Amino acid sequence: MDLYEIRGGRLGVIAEEAELQELSRESTAMETYNVGSPPSPTAAEDGSDGEEDAFKEGETEGEIILIRDQLQEKVAEMESFAGHLEEIFLTVEENFGRQEQHLEQHYNDVLQTLSQRQDESAARLEEEKKSKLEALYGQLLACGQALDASKELIETAQEVYRSQDKRLLLKTVMPTIKRIEEFAKDEVDLTLSTCLEFNTPLADLSDVKTMMDSINVVPAPSAPVINPQMPNSATQTSLRVCWSLFSDDTVEYYELYYRPVLEDTPADSTFTPQVSKVTLKETHCTVADLLPNAQYELWVTATNTTGISPASEKALYMTVPSPPVIKQRECSSCPEAALIRWESGNTNPVDSYTVELREMGADGTESSITESIVAVPTCQCLIQLQPGQRYLISVRAVNIGGPSDRSEPITITTTGTFFYLLEDTAHPCLSISEDGFTIFYGDEELPISAMALDDNTFTRCVAVLGDLIPVRGRHYWEVEVDDGTEFRIGVAYEDTERNSYLGANSTSWCMRHILSPSRHKYEFLHNGWSPDLRITVNPVRIGVALDYDRGTLSFFNVNLEQHLHTFHCHFQNYVHPCFSLDNPGALTVHNSIEAPEYTFI
Amino acid sequence: MALTLVSSNKCAGGFQKVFEHESTELKCKMKFAVYLPPKAETDKCAVMYWLSGLTCTEQNFITKAGSQLGAAEHGIIIVAPDTSPRGCNIEGEDESWDFGTGAGFYVNATQDPWKTNYRMYAYVTEELPKLINANFPTDPEKMSISGHSMGGHGALICALKNPGKYKAVSAFAPICNPMQCPWGQKAFSGYLGPDRSTWEAYDATVLAASYSGPQLDILIDQGRDDQFLSASQLLPDNLIAVCSEKKIPVVFRLQPGYDHSYFFIYSFMNDHIKHHTKYLNA
Repeated sequence: MDLYEIRGGRLGVIAEEAELQELSRESTAMETYNVGSPPSPTAAEDGSDGEEDAFKEGETEGEIILIRDQLQEKVAEMESFAGHLEEIFLTVEENFGRQEQHLEQHYNDVLQTLSQRQDESAARLEEEKKSKLEALYGQLLACGQALDASKELIETAQEVYRSQDKRLLLKTVMPTIKRIEEFAKDEVDLTLSTCLEFNTPLADLSDVKTMMDSINVVPAPSAPVINPQMPNSATQTSLRVCWSLFSDDTVEYYELYYRPVLEDTPADSTFTPQVSKVTLKETHCTVADLLPNAQYELWVTATNTTGISPASEKALYMTVPSPPVIKQRECSSCPEAALIRWESGNTNPVDSYTVELREMGADGTESSITESIVAVPTCQCLIQLQPGQRYLISVRAVNIGGPSDRSEPITITTTGTFFYLLEDTAHPCLSISEDGFTIFYGDEELPISAMALDDNTFTRCVAVLGDLIPVRGRHYWEVEVDDGTEFRIGVAYEDTERNSYLGANSTSWCMRHILSPSRHKYEFLHNGWSPDLRITVNPVRIGVALDYDRGTLSFFNVNLEQHLHTFHCHFQNYVHPCFSLDNPGALTVHNSIEAPEYTFI
Repeated sequence: MALTLVSSNKCAGGFQKVFEHESTELKCKMKFAVYLPPKAETDKCAVMYWLSGLTCTEQNFITKAGSQLGAAEHGIIIVAPDTSPRGCNIEGEDESWDFGTGAGFYVNATQDPWKTNYRMYAYVTEELPKLINANFPTDPEKMSISGHSMGGHGALICALKNPGKYKAVSAFAPICNPMQCPWGQKAFSGYLGPDRSTWEAYDATVLAASYSGPQLDILIDQGRDDQFLSASQLLPDNLIAVCSEKKIPVVFRLQPGYDHSYFFIYSFMNDHIKHHTKYLNA
């Protein structure tokens, strides 16, 4: 199985094919050559043949090309097949190598264990031998001693027997005989103190046996490794989880566990979130039916015939938030900018918001280019825009899991200045139409209870503020009234006194219409002071032009294009349009109107 | 007609010039001031005619009113004629300051000895515009008129008697109802004779009552501390009442602390120029 041979073989195959091709090309070339060669001994015959051959030449040419293409295809196929074989071969070799290694190690372990046992047994036997020998040696000593004692006795007795002194004999013979009698009575223990047999218990080789057995048994898998959350892989209700095996374990199936992470851990552990489980064979899973903008804890185990792996590390994943909701009535715009406000759309906080805008063409087609403003920290954004365009603006909420779906878009037209009224500043007697642009002061008396205790509403002047976009430059809007409406219209600082009348203080500027029995009176009030003016044609549509840079607030009779009055004031802060009705009546605000040229001369 | 340059001074980037010519209507030499803004060097400009008040010449306006900066900014030519024929040697012409020399009242006199020379109405509405259009880079369609006191009266009547001719009109402390005030009565009886019906043709209040023509937009500034206002020479209320009824758009501003002088005119000249510009440059 030499790779080189195979490769060589393949090359050889190709070479053969190439040769074949060459040969076929050559032969056809030769053919054509033969056919086409003009000088020939038998000119006349060849001439006629020549024609036919010429025709055949063309055909043959085509056939040759066809065959050549087919052969080339074949070659390519063979090459890829050979490539595959090569890959398989490599894999098998790898696997084989690994298995070999594995077995080697295994058997090494077994051998080691066995030799260990052997040593142990040997040691034990040695011990036994030693103790037996000692025992026997002791016995031997005792015997020797006994022998010596007997010998001594016998010698003494003999000596006594042989002694000439009969008197000494008589003296000692009796005790000596007694001693010999006693001695003879002594039983001599001739049994061996130890048995000669060795105690060889059966070696406990059970664990070796299991080891041998387990060579063919696959080990239980080790803990899988769960991947951290991939960006943009989550949706509002699902998460895509992936994991991998640390080593090349065999795994039959995986079990994925997950549970939501609660915001506050309850004091008692009675309410612990349920753990859900998914069993699957792949190393990835899309978990669905989850809550948006929520954190989940996930871990996975691998199982095979041998058993279950330990659990992987617990990973924290987050689902994507729900899309925000743009607050239509709280958005405003001017030719150079728009202020968009929205609700988060999620009960828990998100990391940031992304605002997206697309230009819309005059024919309603959307531009394919979307501009995005990322990392918006709060639920509002002031965006710079081009004048005279239409934009579709939407918002996404973003957390670790990724961005939410787009919110419902809002259309912004950068023609003129556009704003809604700040309804929570409206005096209780003021009611506002559905579309938000007409205010009414009704005849009916409101009960005291209806008087709001809100800090923000006007309490004496029946007034309301408008939500002008906080951008400097020029702004223009128009107010429609009728001849008999007594009104005040102009601008005021956001913190203008709510218990005061528009124009009566230093924080508001307004045009005032008073209807007296004899005539119409017009005032232009600031700080309670007005210039003395007479206007002969009563304006019913009033243009209000605010220029922050020049510090002017001008009023016009729109129908006549007539300038009425200009306040000159350096506005310290941003101002809001203000409107009030001094007597029952109505007025309508018109905006998104491009300021006429004459308003900003 | 030949124009003789009397003086030329660079002013506010343009030129304040004074010319003299032989007037055919007035049968004498007449001077007039003309301010040419920087724009006039390259383009045709609109023209604002300024009519001065009693005792004035062409000089008062150009030295005291402070009009040049505004005119330069908005590219307007301002023409300021004299207030009456000069050097005609008519008996009694210098007797009073409010009749005769310096007090032409912008009428075409019908009575002797005034009727030959005292044709200021024709001069201002016919001869002068022709002369200006022929000699300066003007847009003949874009004309407007303004004035002070007697000149205010002149501006109002020119506009009311020539619907559509003047694109804008304004006045400073005008004599609004000459038939009802001592000045007017004195001047009209002298120039027009005893028949008061002939006076009506030169009374702004009367003319307003019967005005029909393109919509006007009249700006009037009046000093509250103007001695002539309190002397009932000016009578703006009469004009306002008529205009309110006839729905002729007027914005009348009573300016506290201001009198009848050029100091008052100077203070609001810019507003008036802006008012004229709106219609002249539209």
